[in-house]
Amino acid sequence: MSERLGLSIRHHTGFTYDGAAKASFNEARMTPRSLGTQQVQASRISVRPTVPLWSYTDYFGTIVSVFDVQETHPQLEVEAVSQVESWAATLETPLDWGQLRSSRLVDRFSEFLLPTSRTTLGVVADLEPWRQLPDVHQCAEAVSEFVRASISYVPGATTVSATAEEAWAAGQGVCQDITHVAIGLLREMGVPARYVSGYLFPASAPDVGDAVQGQSHAWVEYYSGSWTGIDPTNGVRETERHIIVGHGRDYDDVAPLKGIYQGPASTQLGVVVEMRRTH
Amino acid sequence: MFSAPGQARPVYERLLADLDAYQPQELRQRSEQLSRTFIDRGVTFAHSGEERPFPLDLVPRILGALEWDRLARGIAQRVRALEAFLADVYGAGRIFDEGLMPRAVITSSPHYCRPAFGISPPNEVRIAVAGIDLIRDEHGNFCVLEDNVRIPSGVSYVIENRRAMTQAFSSLFSDHRVHPVDSYPARLFAALLAAAPRKIAEPVIVVLSPGVHNAAYFEHVLLARMMGVELVEGRDLVCRNNHVYMRTTNGERAVHVIYRRVDDDWLDPLQFRPDSVIGVAGLINAARAGNVVITNGVGNGVADDKLVYTYVPEFIRFYLGEKPLLDNIETHRLEDDSTREAVLASLGDYVLKPVDGSGGKGIVIGPQASKNELKNLRKAITAAPRNFIAQRPVALSTHPTFVGDTLAPRHIDLRPFAVNDGNDVWVLPGGLTRVALGEGELIVNSSRGGGSKDTWVLNDEALSFRGTARAGGARPRRGGAGPRQNDEFVGAGDEQ
Amino acid sequence: MLSRLAESLFWIGRYIERADDTARIVDSYVHRMVEDPFNDETATCRSLYSILGIEVGAEQLNTLATLQTIVYDIDNPNSIAGALNGAYENARRSRDYISSEMWVALNTTRNELPKRETRARNFGPSTYLGFVRERAALLAGLTDATLSHDDGWRFLVLGRNIERIDMTARLLRGRVVSDDNAPDWMAFLRASGAMEAFMRNTREVDDANAVAAFLMLDRLFPRSVLYSLNLADECLVEIQPVSQRISSGDAARQALARARGMLEFINPAQLIDQLPELLEMLEATCFQITDAVTDRYFRHEEAVAWSIEEGL
Repeated sequence: MSERLGLSIRHHTGFTYDGAAKASFNEARMTPRSLGTQQVQASRISVRPTVPLWSYTDYFGTIVSVFDVQETHPQLEVEAVSQVESWAATLETPLDWGQLRSSRLVDRFSEFLLPTSRTTLGVVADLEPWRQLPDVHQCAEAVSEFVRASISYVPGATTVSATAEEAWAAGQGVCQDITHVAIGLLREMGVPARYVSGYLFPASAPDVGDAVQGQSHAWVEYYSGSWTGIDPTNGVRETERHIIVGHGRDYDDVAPLKGIYQGPASTQLGVVVEMRRTH
Repeated sequence: MFSAPGQARPVYERLLADLDAYQPQELRQRSEQLSRTFIDRGVTFAHSGEERPFPLDLVPRILGALEWDRLARGIAQRVRALEAFLADVYGAGRIFDEGLMPRAVITSSPHYCRPAFGISPPNEVRIAVAGIDLIRDEHGNFCVLEDNVRIPSGVSYVIENRRAMTQAFSSLFSDHRVHPVDSYPARLFAALLAAAPRKIAEPVIVVLSPGVHNAAYFEHVLLARMMGVELVEGRDLVCRNNHVYMRTTNGERAVHVIYRRVDDDWLDPLQFRPDSVIGVAGLINAARAGNVVITNGVGNGVADDKLVYTYVPEFIRFYLGEKPLLDNIETHRLEDDSTREAVLASLGDYVLKPVDGSGGKGIVIGPQASKNELKNLRKAITAAPRNFIAQRPVALSTHPTFVGDTLAPRHIDLRPFAVNDGNDVWVLPGGLTRVALGEGELIVNSSRGGGSKDTWVLNDEALSFRGTARAGGARPRRGGAGPRQNDEFVGAGDEQ
Repeated sequence: MLSRLAESLFWIGRYIERADDTARIVDSYVHRMVEDPFNDETATCRSLYSILGIEVGAEQLNTLATLQTIVYDIDNPNSIAGALNGAYENARRSRDYISSEMWVALNTTRNELPKRETRARNFGPSTYLGFVRERAALLAGLTDATLSHDDGWRFLVLGRNIERIDMTARLLRGRVVSDDNAPDWMAFLRASGAMEAFMRNTREVDDANAVAAFLMLDRLFPRSVLYSLNLADECLVEIQPVSQRISSGDAARQALARARGMLEFINPAQLIDQLPELLEMLEATCFQITDAVTDRYFRHEEAVAWSIEEGL
């Protein structure tokens, strides 16, 4: 039985306005759900200024919390607190290339094979060697290694709206950009790939009870007969330390907090992700 | 067109006799009077930035009761199939599981609206109003040109045309029993009421318009007025906690049904274009929460897609278990390699339509296109075959139209309007006959300088004359060449 | 009713009245300019501009240019053509409410203006002004006969009366401010359509006090200021929502009450002396009422531009 990691996660984010905002409408995708490799015991979102919240599950299966603020407010804060139990997946025997390229499968996953404006890449590498690898797991690992080596993890080098092309040209980016590039390459080779948004509990695992700075994180899942996770930013496969919030074609489908508002310029509040091991 | 062989269809006999009674100057005067009435009443649309009346031709198009009945049943069937299709692609997706249509057709459509997924209208109606465009082919059969289930417009012209004709040509109406068209607003109102969220005792219905600058503003006004509901713009509405309210002098009033004439993309700046100033922030989630119903449904555009059009006969068979009553025009999908190659080999023989076009934009008529146009087209098709369909050119039927001082044949089509109230699909008797005013011109949309004709569905089968019987059928006043093959007046085949 | 709609109707009322009253004022001045050989063209034009609240520089003025600005300039909301255009634009936005007859009347009026203007260049402005007054009368008739007398109609009538008060005050001010260059009191009476009514009432045509008193204080004559103030108040009372009154709702009625109070207790014999202050007070009152009503009933957002925010 794989080891179950118990985590308590607090994700705090928001905006401050150069003055005050009059009204805003928002959707938060900050709530993990129970899946094949994790079990959610409790989850709650709160907003300041205090407003009612409503939630639904979107097209990609992500839990969305919806709220609007219609009083004047200088700042908007959103906090998600969850208790999750997570474990690592076992790597399964992949479909062979022929099966992956069957027209039925290609049609079924067409959404995750088409490039998006975020994931489109020009020719950045020779894909042939990877295509020739015996199975898709090895292919994904090779791509992951390649991307990790090609793009340095440099926070602040790119903006939240950066595309794979831009990140590639800069040779720098954050997990979001690295993930987009990897997805672009995999799709180019006919491997269905999707964007995963969630949290990462740091490897230097502290003892139970201590809170550590975690991360809002992004990584890749590719289809090999089932959706298999791989993390090019950290050069590992998906582990029990990866907590999934949602999937999408790219970042735009799973942005943790997106919205519109009426008011002066806004700046992001510092994002805080605090994680504590419970067992 | 009336020399020797041409014998007018029985439905037109009386009309010919009646028109014969007018002198050409009289006809021209009446025609100008119609124009003026339209300008005075503001029945105009914006053509190249200018407000112009949509020209009404004084020769009405007539459909017999039997023929109409067949058409109406075919249209209703088509609407029901499209409803089932929309419910399926925004829900279970059975049609993909059965392998009847590639999922990619839908997921790659720019109109597939993922935020609409999971929104279920309380009475399961997503197509309150449909405009199914029809043409009559060279064999005299009606077939479907395209389905419009997003924001089909033009019914206001149907109503205004009838009003103008009854005023300017009242004598024609005394000789014919024509189905009235003025019950449309009441039918639409009933359908909107039936669409309301359950448990609301007195649902508040509004018409949401982009505003005065929209080409169809006149229609929004007419419908709101005739239904007795408020005409609102995005800025008159506000969402609070997933409920929609309109701003009134007495404070905010809850709204339950929105008959929207604003396109998906502009409807909700939170879900779609954030630069939209004609939408309402939070509207989609309010619909999802079940507090308001938006109709026609968000995401219907996926059924408007011309590639999806090619599958509609399959929808009828799969969802309804019925045989299609109305046929498509023979259409080819270009993603299949052999089909595409065959089409590319003789591109000049086909009509190529962009899957996503509207108002006739981007259509290339092979036989009329230049070498350069065909070359560019070939490139575009090779680059993105999913974006085009190919059809054989169909000779649209023609109809005598008052041009200058005489009647001359001009191409026409027909857009009947269907209203779905959840129990029944009712088709407005007649619909909008659009006529291309340029000689030989094929595209009949208003945005390309077309006009329209009053369209009559006769109420009875008796076609005997009331007045004096006239011998023969030749009317010297009609200009143009000899009888045309596909003329509505004369026509091939022997149906009414 | 929809706030935006109420506001459109309010402004239809104001704009049509503005066109009508401006036509009346210009007509009385034009007669003077044409009939009086000693008339100082610049001074008369200047007084006309000042009545209508339009700023002009110190240069020489001539009749033609003045008429162009005040009568025919469709882009200036204070001109006659501009006011009718404003009414038309607002009617376009409230077409679902106003009767089709009203709409057709406004639409055809506006479409006719260019033709009338051309004719006026040849035959003088009186035909144009007469046309405007006729159409205004038609529209007033249609307003009263083809609109249900509900809140929408009340907002329209409210707007009409506020504009009427404002314009009558301006007209009287012209007389006060530039005595020699303004038409005489007879002309003012005629311009207000009050000649016959006044004669039946008083007959003291040369008594400035009597005329001013009639135009400002008469309770029965519909163009008198007091009459309009009373009618405006009636409209506000009937529009009153059932729910709790909030203080800003009273601001309009308070302004009206103050104005009525001042007029009701004035000694008509001293009217002329106090005229300047009274007229200023009236113009200010009109502003206050408009602001209060806009604030209370027309509060709606303009089409808003949204900014995007994204959080991590």
